[in-house]
Amino acid sequence: MPTNLSLFSVTAVLILASDGSRVLAKYYNPPHSTTKSPYPTAKEQKVFEKGLHAKTVKSGGDVILYDNHVVVYKAESDVIMYVVGGLDENELMLFNVVLALRDTLLLMLRNAVDKRTIAEHYDMVSLALEEMVDDGVILETDPQLILQRVTKLPQSDIPNIKDIDLSEKGLLNAWEFGKKHFAEKLRQGL
Amino acid sequence: MSYSKKDEDAEQALFRVDRTSVFQEARVFNSSPISPRKCRILLTKIVYLLHTGESFPKAEATELFFGITKLFQHRDASLRQMVYLVIKELANTAEDVIMVTSSVMKDVSGAGGRAGAEQDIYRANAIRALCRIIDGTTVQAIERLLKTAIVDKTPSVSSAALVSSYHLLPTARDVVRRWANEAQEAVLSGSKSSGFSLGFGSSAAAPQGSGMTQYHAIGLLYQMRAHDRMSLVKMVQQFSSGQVKNPAAIVMLVRLAAKLADDDQQMRKPMYQLLEGWLRHKSEMVTFEAAKAICELRDVTDQEVAPAIHVLQLFLTSPRSIAKFTAIRILHKFASIKPATVNVCNMDIETLISNSNRSIATFAITTLLKTGNEASVDRLMKQISGFMADITDEFKITIVEAIRTLCLKFPSKQAGMLSFLSGVLRDEGGYEFKKTVVESMFDLIKFVPESREDALAHLCEFIEDCEFTKLAVRVLHLLGTEGPKTAQPTKYIRYIYNRVVLENAIVRAAAVTALAKFGVSAKDGASVDPEVKKSVVVLLTRCLDDPDDEVRDRAALNLRIINNSEQEVAEKFIKNDTLYSLPVFEHQLIMYVTGDQSTFSKSFELSSVPIVTREQALAEERNVKLRSADTPTLKAPTTGGPAKSSAGAATSTEVSSSTIANTQKHAQVLATVPEFNPYGALLKSSTEVELTEQETEYVVAVTKHIFKEHLVLQFSVKNTLSDTLLENISMIATPSDDNEATLEEDFIIPVAKLNHDEVGTIWVAFKRSADEAYPIGSFTNVLKFTSKEIDPASGEPEEAGYEDEYQVEDLELTAGDYLVPAFAGSWENVWEQVGAAGEEATESYALGTELKGIQDAIDFLGKKLYLQPLDGSDVAINATTHTLRLFGKTLNGGRVVAQVRMAYSGKNGVALKATVRAEEGGVAAMVVGGIA
Repeated sequence: MPTNLSLFSVTAVLILASDGSRVLAKYYNPPHSTTKSPYPTAKEQKVFEKGLHAKTVKSGGDVILYDNHVVVYKAESDVIMYVVGGLDENELMLFNVVLALRDTLLLMLRNAVDKRTIAEHYDMVSLALEEMVDDGVILETDPQLILQRVTKLPQSDIPNIKDIDLSEKGLLNAWEFGKKHFAEKLRQGL
Repeated sequence: MSYSKKDEDAEQALFRVDRTSVFQEARVFNSSPISPRKCRILLTKIVYLLHTGESFPKAEATELFFGITKLFQHRDASLRQMVYLVIKELANTAEDVIMVTSSVMKDVSGAGGRAGAEQDIYRANAIRALCRIIDGTTVQAIERLLKTAIVDKTPSVSSAALVSSYHLLPTARDVVRRWANEAQEAVLSGSKSSGFSLGFGSSAAAPQGSGMTQYHAIGLLYQMRAHDRMSLVKMVQQFSSGQVKNPAAIVMLVRLAAKLADDDQQMRKPMYQLLEGWLRHKSEMVTFEAAKAICELRDVTDQEVAPAIHVLQLFLTSPRSIAKFTAIRILHKFASIKPATVNVCNMDIETLISNSNRSIATFAITTLLKTGNEASVDRLMKQISGFMADITDEFKITIVEAIRTLCLKFPSKQAGMLSFLSGVLRDEGGYEFKKTVVESMFDLIKFVPESREDALAHLCEFIEDCEFTKLAVRVLHLLGTEGPKTAQPTKYIRYIYNRVVLENAIVRAAAVTALAKFGVSAKDGASVDPEVKKSVVVLLTRCLDDPDDEVRDRAALNLRIINNSEQEVAEKFIKNDTLYSLPVFEHQLIMYVTGDQSTFSKSFELSSVPIVTREQALAEERNVKLRSADTPTLKAPTTGGPAKSSAGAATSTEVSSSTIANTQKHAQVLATVPEFNPYGALLKSSTEVELTEQETEYVVAVTKHIFKEHLVLQFSVKNTLSDTLLENISMIATPSDDNEATLEEDFIIPVAKLNHDEVGTIWVAFKRSADEAYPIGSFTNVLKFTSKEIDPASGEPEEAGYEDEYQVEDLELTAGDYLVPAFAGSWENVWEQVGAAGEEATESYALGTELKGIQDAIDFLGKKLYLQPLDGSDVAINATTHTLRLFGKTLNGGRVVAQVRMAYSGKNGVALKATVRAEEGGVAAMVVGGIA
């Protein structure tokens, strides 16, 4: 009995747009390992995605067996998120990953999980995915915890608020700083 | 200039970025002071490119990589996190990535200066990036760092360190192994600090973590201790007592427990108890894994599996399709092993066949196919026709294929299924769908003779209004072959001639050929009704005026053949009863085409391809079809399990399909020995039987070849002694007393000499006396040879050797050696026919406890008797009783039909009662006697 005792359980995580084009596609291949990924080249990946998309775009499923893989998926406005795993994988475990991906994005993007919003926050989306799956090993499936670990885009390049020690300079300085900061912003805006 | 505005543009442009422009923009990494915002946007673009399938060439990747390393000067956490993400992505393509190790290590150790939460954010990222840039030789340098990180109190850091260690295992197993204590500690501390987030998402998570650390630690610990069963057992026992809370981690424990139960019989009971306990776990993930593990236990008993099946049955009605899917998938797999135990879920499974998720519906239908009995078929059909109109063509095809399998399995239900098929044939549908339906009807006609007339009538109707030329042609061909065999061939002639009048040239040509067949052949060898022949001739003559060349040519050719008085030519040409064995043909053609240049110097030898009769081809086809439909046939998906589950069925059917190829192969070898030329054609070769253990001094195996009047034993002898030379080796094969008279030794072809590791072939030929057609019995075999020791100094054998004898095991000549499997559409028919004409013999046997179950017994009989199982009786459905129906022919062509009823109990093993009917005298008793 081939028992699956490996931690490598995710073959790929995909986010495809409603027309089947890629928004994000991450195929995992364990580092330092000799086993070949089943979809080594971009061409094979595209074929796989196209077929998978055609199969899943209409039917409301959550899960499908495709090309010797268990694929769980969730659709959200104009994108579909997929998690691909091997045939012996625990379907529920994979499903937790796709739910985690969906829920994290929902929280992170304030319920606007669509192609455009994902593109606008691509850095955070990729970081969230990075915190979820590390080269095929599921790291975390709790959206709250994932979200805690994703940093936002720094607001501006002007000295970081945190770099200024407010306690030493007193409130007045803080006010001065804020005013200057605001004025500068205004000038830039014009 | 406004940052915000520019950035908005930049982000909108994300979908328009290309590699070159990103590479150009990489200057920004070198600017001073570093702008975290700008840099992070550019890093995002790189990630975007990589995540949508773009890849950087090595040189560019390396340059980017080192540009990025400059960003380590800036301490902004959000920038640093993104830097690590890109480093991880580029580490595979860029060169010399190991250069940044020291910068990364600073972050891992927390020596970067900034303390506390800020750094914790990217510490995990740093650890994960570290294991990408390091190679096997430098792992030791980071050993201390990782060890501390594994036991870190922050779950994300600890997890990252564990997963990184896991990734490093293949390159630095020895180093990583030393971290077992830390990993162990991580499991335990995980249990203390973890809040429990059970499965799904947004439940209130404790700030500490979800316990995934435990999952990673257990995964790592398993890899470290995989070779040490005792410590694995300890691990399962220790961790299963409530310390591990994370569902994913428990899933790992479930798998581990299942593996232990499988490896070691002694562990089976305690492990089963653990698995059974996990069935009641509150996380579905664990429940399913435990149910799956129990179902996959080796030799699982009905009692053991019952709680698992019960749990799965509850999930079949779950509102979540993922749960339904998982449950039905496990049941589907298990149904091929023990259909009876899954029976209880049938009602729930039936509700799933109209599920909107095609995967679920397909699994449901195929599961029902396995578990269903004849009684439930009608209900199933009714249900299916209910939703047939609402589903896509592709799914319809799956269903039709499933029904075809049902037809083959339960031939008595053919009427209902046929009307269903003809119903769907009238529905709207594309070519692929119609093709499947038509092919299913073809199969019905071929394998279920009772349905022939009805099915043909439906097909006739179908071609009246068929938009697909290809299908019309195929149906016409079938009408041509099957129509003349029916009671009223004229009925079909009208339909066929209508095609000639109304259709395009391709269909007309096919119709002409079909018509011609009515002119030459009739039911079961009776001669053609002159009236029919006359009308066919009239019709064909009209076709001579057809505007199309091909149609005219065919009409003319066929007219000529029909009018020709030589019936034989006509029969051979038009009826075409034999064909090449296509799999062998294909294989040989491939070998020919892919061979080296020299093979092309001579032309492909068609005569080397065995010719099989239609009957044999049908038998094989049917087996393939019965088996293929076991698995859902959605295009790409497969179920993983079927190879294992159908293995049992395969062995018995392989017997039949390989017999022909096997005999053919040996015939070529025998043809090289001139002494056998007068014996005529080889009738049958058995498979090779070993007469010694593999590791004895002389390894002997034998193959039996049966000729019309002779028996040839082919002994292959191998000398395994390195210091001995064998000379003048012969085999004294003596038939046992009772058949000494019937077998008369003809000649022996000895082997002159055998060096170390050489294999030689000894031929012993016997003449089978005419009185008894099929002598059976045993041979005692003694190997006779002159043994010469080889002088180790000179390497030359000594002058004088000594004579020696070596007795090998006896060889049995059994009834099976004279039988070849054959196929018949209906076992019942042959049983009655042969029963009326021939003799019958019955015998009961107890095969004892050696065979474990009914399926083993079926395989055993298949190998022993060389008969073809019919009516799908080669798959045991019930674990305790089974009736095996066999059919075959003797080498002289007499039919042999057998019915074997068997019963199995754990205490007494398999008991069976075999009844054999045979056309030739004495055969029935011989076959019955040949079972044990």
